[in-house]
Order: sequence, then structure tokens, then C-alpha cells
Amino acid sequence: MKGLGLSLKALLSHYWCYPWQALFLIAGLCAGVALWSAVQIINGHARASYEQGNQVLGAQAYYWIRAKDETGVSTADYAQLRRQGFREVYPVVQGVLLSAKQQAIPIIATDPIALPVQAIQTNTSATEFNGLAFMQAPYQAWFPPSLARELGVQVNERLLLKDGQTMPPALLQTQTQQGRQVLLDIAPALSLLKRDKLSYLAVTQLSEPEKTRLQQSLPAHLSLVENRQSVDLSQLTQSLHTQLSAMSLLSFAVGLFIVFNAVRFSLWYRRPTLRTLRLMGVSVSTLSLAIAVETLVWSLVGSGLGLALGYLLSQSLLPTVSSSLQSLYGANLGSDIIFQTRTLLWAWLLTLGGLILALALPLWQQLRLPVLPSNTLSTHWRSDQRTRKRLLIAASVLALLAIFIYPLIHQLIQGFILLGMVLLAAAWALPALLASSLKLLEYLLPPDSFKARWLIRDGWAQLPALRTAMMALLLALTANLGVEMLVGSFRTALSTWLEQRIAADFYVQGSSQFKLQTLLDDPNTADWLAAVNERTQISLRWQEHPLLLRGVNPSAPDSQTISFTQALPDALKTWQAADSQQQWVLANEQLHYLAGVKLGDSLALETPQGPVAFQVIGFVHDYGNPYYQLFLPNSLLKRYWPHAEPWNTSLWLKDQRFAAQAEQALLKAGAKAGDWVEQKTIKSLSLSIFDRTFAMTAAMNSLTLWVASIALLAALMAILQERLPEFAQWRALGVNRLEQWLVMSTPLFIWAGITWLAALPLGALLSWILIHKLNVMAFGWSMPLLWSMTPAWHLALLTLGVILFTLVLVAWQLRRKLPQALAQLGAQA
Amino acid sequence: MLQLIKVSKAFPQPDGQLTPILAGIDFQLNAGQSAALLGASGSGKSTLLHLIAGLDTPDSGEIVVRDQSIMTLSEAKLAELRRHTISLVFQQFYLISTLKVVDNIRFQAQLSQRYDPAWEKQLVDRLGLGDQLQKYPHQLSGGQQQRVAIARALLHKPALVLADEPTGNLDEHSSEQVMALLSELVKQAGSALLMVTHSRQMASYLDQAYWLKAGSLHSEVIDT
Ligand SMILES: Nc1ncnc2c1ncn2[C@@H]1O[C@H](COP(=O)(O)OP(=O)(O)OP(=O)(O)O)[C@@H](O)[C@H]1O
Ligand SMILES: [Mg+2]
Repeated sequence: MKGLGLSLKALLSHYWCYPWQALFLIAGLCAGVALWSAVQIINGHARASYEQGNQVLGAQAYYWIRAKDETGVSTADYAQLRRQGFREVYPVVQGVLLSAKQQAIPIIATDPIALPVQAIQTNTSATEFNGLAFMQAPYQAWFPPSLARELGVQVNERLLLKDGQTMPPALLQTQTQQGRQVLLDIAPALSLLKRDKLSYLAVTQLSEPEKTRLQQSLPAHLSLVENRQSVDLSQLTQSLHTQLSAMSLLSFAVGLFIVFNAVRFSLWYRRPTLRTLRLMGVSVSTLSLAIAVETLVWSLVGSGLGLALGYLLSQSLLPTVSSSLQSLYGANLGSDIIFQTRTLLWAWLLTLGGLILALALPLWQQLRLPVLPSNTLSTHWRSDQRTRKRLLIAASVLALLAIFIYPLIHQLIQGFILLGMVLLAAAWALPALLASSLKLLEYLLPPDSFKARWLIRDGWAQLPALRTAMMALLLALTANLGVEMLVGSFRTALSTWLEQRIAADFYVQGSSQFKLQTLLDDPNTADWLAAVNERTQISLRWQEHPLLLRGVNPSAPDSQTISFTQALPDALKTWQAADSQQQWVLANEQLHYLAGVKLGDSLALETPQGPVAFQVIGFVHDYGNPYYQLFLPNSLLKRYWPHAEPWNTSLWLKDQRFAAQAEQALLKAGAKAGDWVEQKTIKSLSLSIFDRTFAMTAAMNSLTLWVASIALLAALMAILQERLPEFAQWRALGVNRLEQWLVMSTPLFIWAGITWLAALPLGALLSWILIHKLNVMAFGWSMPLLWSMTPAWHLALLTLGVILFTLVLVAWQLRRKLPQALAQLGAQA
Repeated sequence: MLQLIKVSKAFPQPDGQLTPILAGIDFQLNAGQSAALLGASGSGKSTLLHLIAGLDTPDSGEIVVRDQSIMTLSEAKLAELRRHTISLVFQQFYLISTLKVVDNIRFQAQLSQRYDPAWEKQLVDRLGLGDQLQKYPHQLSGGQQQRVAIARALLHKPALVLADEPTGNLDEHSSEQVMALLSELVKQAGSALLMVTHSRQMASYLDQAYWLKAGSLHSEVIDT
């Protein structure tokens, strides 16, 4: 025990003398852990939010009563059920309002009197929920404080909506289960949403006989369904969360490289101490224990700080993530992070595991050395050569394995494992590549030049120290390139697709009072209107997933130019005809990739008349949509679902200069200002949703690069530290500053260049896997891969910047420390 | 105390051939005695010392320290041996650069739990380190650093001190000073001393002297 304490004291005194090494170690640990834990916190928060969403207005909402055709439940049906004595049933209205400032305001409403006692037991609010003020004009709007902050709503303010209505006076007040939604009474909610039907009826837990009795009492157009909202949401959003996790894991891996590097260095510097300790009779096991304790301390400190940093990071990333979740999936995340001990514990355990791995490996290497190692450089080089060879063999094995398992991959998580294998193989193969560059240089430079020989020898001496940093750089560059390619390709594919999909000039929302017939009846309309496509929709469930059916006008201009990703021969004509024997539909490719539907397959869909089979004649792109979707001619949709609701109506102008005239005509036909949007608005809105979704990815990417930069800086500083006496000797021998810098930095630039070059094909490979394998598995969206050199050049500049910055820092250190080193040279000669 | 029986050691040369360095060395050192080990450069003096300290293993033969063969000891037992019984003093000092002088001096004594403040005071005074205790090793001169290493090696009064050219890094004057101190303090500590040196002058401070040549030891008579 005495030995342990003393050894620890001796080992840790190192950081007292070289605090910046401790700083790098902590920085590496934090950077890696922070990003990883930030994403874990966000994912945990999201899952908790979905669960909380499930508890909105009572965790006991085990069932929902919904209209079979999804048109909502009438108040009459609700009243009828209550009269029959079903006290477990309570009404819910949910929707989204648009403020005058174009902010989306999610609302939820219920009838507090009907709310069963169990449903309000979890209410922690101070104000009485069923107070009269809530249910009587002017009513109350309960804003969660965080949402109020976000929207800038003050107490008692009546928020102005886009359609000119005002919300009830605001109260900063929450009921635990309302989530990130404004709570209202049913009456004001229906009038604000301009609806006359309830969204659904919620039902608390039922005994089996009660359930049967309720089922029997339901009118034919209503059905009792299990509440699956949170399940649906978890399913839908899982891909996004997996994607985020994978990205953060990548940065964690880069972080581990840093830690590995830092520990290797710190042990390398402490070789003399380790040797002395062993000479004085400290056993290897005591030393191992001491270093293990040190490791543990570092891990605890690093992961603790990293988690704290991750928490801050998660708060700054949360708005981006919630807005993409909201726009992609309609999922609401609360803006105050919900901490889950389990999530944190997991993140921390994994962190610890990774750290210990990164710390144990170099330790083991160090302690295997004999007490008095023959400290010559040649033996060091030889062992380094062996390490490179081993890494190369491991890389080849891993690469072969990756090729072998590629065809067997069917799940997202497997895809990410494949990705990890490819990246790791590349990183491991890098040192051999760097070494061969020196061999090439040896071959190219004049053999009789002393300076060339010196440069190359010095390169060999630097290689072991820079190796790991270069691997981290390679990983970061590759990840950045790959993801940039993915995002770039996606953006191009999306805007081309929007171009075709949103071809009309005006889109009038289905919820508008607008009547197309009124417009068409106006004799002036023919002057400016070129074409029109009135669309309808209905949402169903198919194989436990939501399925949207969209009815379109098959002769409208945008129905003529549909481009297929796959189709049966003559698909468009056959589909447009709609009157053939078979019921042909177009499906979005999500149905193909996620549900495994193939061309010509038939889907049995629930219609009011019973199940009907529809056949898939072609697949189309449908970016940004998490749901399955089918397109069919309006006439076909109407034939089976007569109550289909309007979706939107698109109008083509004969010429852009008729725009003002068209808007006048829309107003005359019953539309209100704000009921229609112009094509360019939708397009820019869609693209901005896209950009927001990938903002997170971009942020994580640049962070990864920063992490790698820290690794590079740490490595260079370490080399400096190690070689300072040697540099002093150079100076003493008359080497000038320029020569010294040339020798020191040439290998660095060559290797950074090689690493960048290696990252190009790797980045392409990564984006290829991301686009053709992972994206398809995650979202069901396919797209062509577009290669562009721009991001590669950006990264080259950035890397150059980082290297120059570190060199400046090293130069500054050298200036500060060299005189002292020179003085010592004299003292010890 | 220390006994070597037919100890042999050979090293492989770059061309793969084995060159014998030590060929059947027999040697004995009694408790409290001191001996000098002389020999040409490359004759194997350091190698012999390393074998005795258990830092390397002989190809054949037997090394007995305090009636115990060290050939069969495990790494942990060897560490134990170095901790309590054998102290090493090298030409390169091997101080822990990140610990202050005072911590360096006390290190091994604390490790073996034989720290004696009075003896420390005596050592520090004799070695003239009183003003250096709060400094770091790199702030000391070579001779001072070596005196720190000597203090460290003797503070726990080990049974055997092995010294490999402890004065090799020092000028003539400080060499003599250090040597005189070392032989005097070793006597006071009651330790045995085996010291490698190049100089007969240094060897004359010790009880016996041996000459290592062509792999075997010869007794020498040093006249002062
Ligand atoms: N690890 C090794 N591998 C190969 N040969 C070695 C090794 N260690 C020592 N030798 C060789 O063994 C011989 C003896 O070395 P040793 O260090 O014992 O000499 P020495 O007597 O201490 O010399 P000096 O007085 O110069 O210190 C030398 O010729 C040396 O080259
Ligand atoms: Mg020697």
C-alpha cells in the first residue's frame, strides 16, 4: 500500500510540472465525452418527451375512440357515450395554431369536468384545474413557461393569430401531462381551430367486460383503438435518433484516439520515473495498480466534466433537434431537458469503458518493457515498425470482414457497425501509408545530401508520435467529407424533386373555406388560370403504421411529369386511366424500402365497405415524409372513401403577371388571406426545414474536426516537450532556425497532405454507404450520390489552418523554453 | 551476503553470433564489506551488476543474496528484494525529475518503511544537501544530484549497495568528495558495497578490488 501511494505521488507529480499535458488529457476526454453525452441526453429527453406525450391528459389514456375515416368524433357521439354511462371517456382536441408572427403553437384541449378522477391525480399544478375561469369566456390558455418564453408570450396577453383571432388570456401554468402544448378548454379550442369535431376521445383503463360493452355501444363509424401514439413516434423517430447516436459515437471514437494518444505520451514522458520506481523496488503490479488508479481518476474527472459540458451542449443543440423532429414527425419535445438517470448512467458507463480501453492499452505496452530498456532509437524504430505492420494486418482483416458482411446487412445498427469497421480499417492502415511516404522520399531525395538524410531520419523519429493524431485527423476528415457529400446530394435531390412536385403557382390549403367551383364559375377566371389540381386525402393505418392516401387529379400538369424510381411498363397512363379492372396506385419509395412492398404487390386497405386490394404500379420519391403514402386518382379515392377531406388545391397561372388578379379571385371564392401560399414560399420553407435538420449534423461534424485538431496540437506539443533537449543540441551544433523548422515541419505537412488525400476516396465511400445503405434503411429515401470537391477544399484549408496554428504555438513555446534547455545543455555536459 | 557461482552471460551480436561476456564468474562479498570492480570499457562490469540486481538473468550459474538464490524469484519478489535489500546508484542518477529533492531522498526509505529522521539529518548534513531540499533535481549540479542519489540509496540502510560508476559524470574534485562520502556513509549504514569504477584512485577507498577481464574476475591489490 505504501508503494502504491508513493508511486502515485511520483507519477502524478508529472502533471504538476507539466500542467498543459493534464489540460490536453482533460480537453480530449471532455470533447469526446461531451458530444456523445449531449446526444445521449437529447435522445433520452426525446424518448421521455414521447412518453410524456402519451401521458398528456392522463397516463390512463389506454385507448382512443377515433372515427374510422379519421374525420374526428362529433360532440353528439361523445354526448351519447357519456349518457350511456361511460365515465372513462373524455374528449381531446389537438391541433396547431399559427400566430401572427408565423410561429406554430401546438394546442391541446379537454373538458375538465369530464376528466376522470384518475386522469387528474397526477396534476401537480397549484391552480385548480377545473376552476370556472378555465371553462368560461374569456377562458384561459395555459402556456408551459418554457413555451411562453420561446414565443415571447406575457402573462394575460391575448396572442394574436394569423387568421385574426386571438387566444384566451395567457396563464403561465402547467399541468404535468400537457407537454409542450397550450392547454385550453374544448370550446375555445374548436373555435380557434375552426373545427366542429373532437380529435378523438380518450379512454382510461377498462376492465375486459367494460371494454366489450364500450365496443358494442360504439356507432359503426367509430372504433376503439389502443393508444399507440408514443409507440408510433418512437418507431418513426428511431432512425433519426440512431443517426444522431452514430454521429456522436464517431466523435467519441475520435475522442478516444485523443485519450489514447495523450496517455501514450504521458507514459512515454514518465518512462524515466517508471524506470526509477522499478529500480527502487516497486513491482510491476503495484505500478499497474497505480496507473489504474490514475486512469480511474482521470476517467471520473473527464467523464464528469464531459457530461456537464454535454449537458450545456445538449441545451444549445436541443432547439435544432426539436425543430427537425417537429417538422419531420410532428413530435413535440419539451424545451426543458428531462434528465433520465438511466440514460446518464449508461452514457457514463460507456464513457468509462472506452476510456479504460484507451488508457489500458498503452499502459500494457509500457510495462511490458524491461526495467532498463536499451533506449536506443533503433530499437524504438524497430518496435514501431512492428506496430505498423500489426496495424496494417488488422486493417486488412477488418476490411475483408467488412466486404464479407456488406451483403448481409439489413438493419440500421448493422449498417453503422459496417461504417465503423470501414473507418477503423482506414485509420489503422494509415501509419503504413505514412511510413511508405518516407520511404518514397528516401528514394526521391539525393542520397548523398546530408540534409535530406537528416530530414528523413527525423521524419522516422516523429512518426510514432504523430501516428495517432493523424489517424484521428483521418477519421474526422472522412466523416466530414462523407456527411458533406450526403447533405449536398440530398439537397440537390430535394430541390430537383420539389421543382417537380411543387410545380403550381399557388397552393390553397384544404382547411380553407375556398370553393373551387365558385372560382371556376367566375367568367374572368379563364383569363388567368391555366390549370388546377384539386387534391383530397384520407389517413388510415396499414400494418400497424400510419398510411396516407392522397387523391390527385391525374390530368393536372404535375401529374403528367411524375418521375418514377421504379415502375411497371406504361405505368403513368395506366394509373391515370383509373377505370381499369385493377385499382392501381403509386406508392412512395418508403413503402418499398421500409415495408418491403414490391412493384405489382397488392395492399389490402380498409374502406368503409370492407377491405379492398390496391396494386402498386410505380414508386416515387417522397423526401421528408416519415409516413407511407399512396397516390391515386381522385375518382378512385372518392369511390371507396366518399368522405375524403380536402388536402389542397393547386393553381397554375397563364402568366406570372396575373398573380395579383389571381389572389383577388381567391378572396372572392371564399379563401382568406393566409389560406394560400406561393410556390416559392413552400420551396424555401421545405429547404429551410431541410437545412435545420442537417444543422445538427453540421454542428457535430465541425465539433469532430475540433476534437481532431486538439489531438494534433497535443501531439505536436508532446513532440516538442520530448525533443527540447535535442533541439537545444541542434542549436548548439549551429543549426539555424529555418533549417530546424524545415526538418520539423516538412514531415508534418507531407503527412497531413497524405491524410487529406486518403480521406477523399474514404469520404466518397462513406457517403456512398450513407446514401445507398443507411439513408435508405433509416428513412426509405433514395437519391443519387453527387461528388463535389468544394467541401474537400474547405477541409484542406481548415486542416492547413489548424497545422499552422499549432506550429505557431509550438514556435512560441520553443522560443520560451529553448534558452533554458540550452543552459542545461551546458550544465550537464 | 552475496555469492556468485559460475555465472555466465553472452550477448548476441548484430550478425547473430553469441559473444560471451561473463564466463563462469565466482565471487563472494561479506556483510559490511566493500569491493571495487575494475575493468576495461565493454568488459561486462555493468552487465554483472545488472545480473546481481535481478535486472537481467544469467545464462547459467547461481546468484545468492542473503542465502537466497535470486534466479527463481518472481518479478514481484525481485521488486521486494530491490526495495529492501539492494540499493542501486548509477552514473545517470535516475532521480524522479518531477519530485523535489527531499521527496527523492525519502522515496525508497518510505517505500521500505524504514525511514529514520535522525539518520536522514546526518546524511543530508554530511552530503551538504541542507539547502537543496526544496529544489527540483534539474536545479542541481551533477555532483549534487549524485549526492541526492546516494542519500536515497542509503537512507533505508540496505544490506547491499550496487554502484555503477557513480562518479563517472563528475569532475575529479567532486568525484573524490563523493567517493569519500560514499565509502564513509556505507560503513555507517552497515551495508556491503560493490562498486564499478574506472579509477584505481576510487578503488583504493574500498576493502578489496577485482579486475574483470575476458569474462573472469581477478583479485587486485591496490596500493595507495
Ligand atoms: N543488450 C545487449 N545486447 C548486446 N550486447 C550487449 C548488450 N548489453 C551489453 N552488451 C555488450 O556487452 C559488453 C559488456 O557491456 P557492459 O555494459 O557490461 O560493459 P562495461 O564493462 O560496463 O563497459 P563501460 O565501462 O564502458 O560501461 C559490451 O561489449 C556490450 O557491447
Ligand atoms: Mg558500464
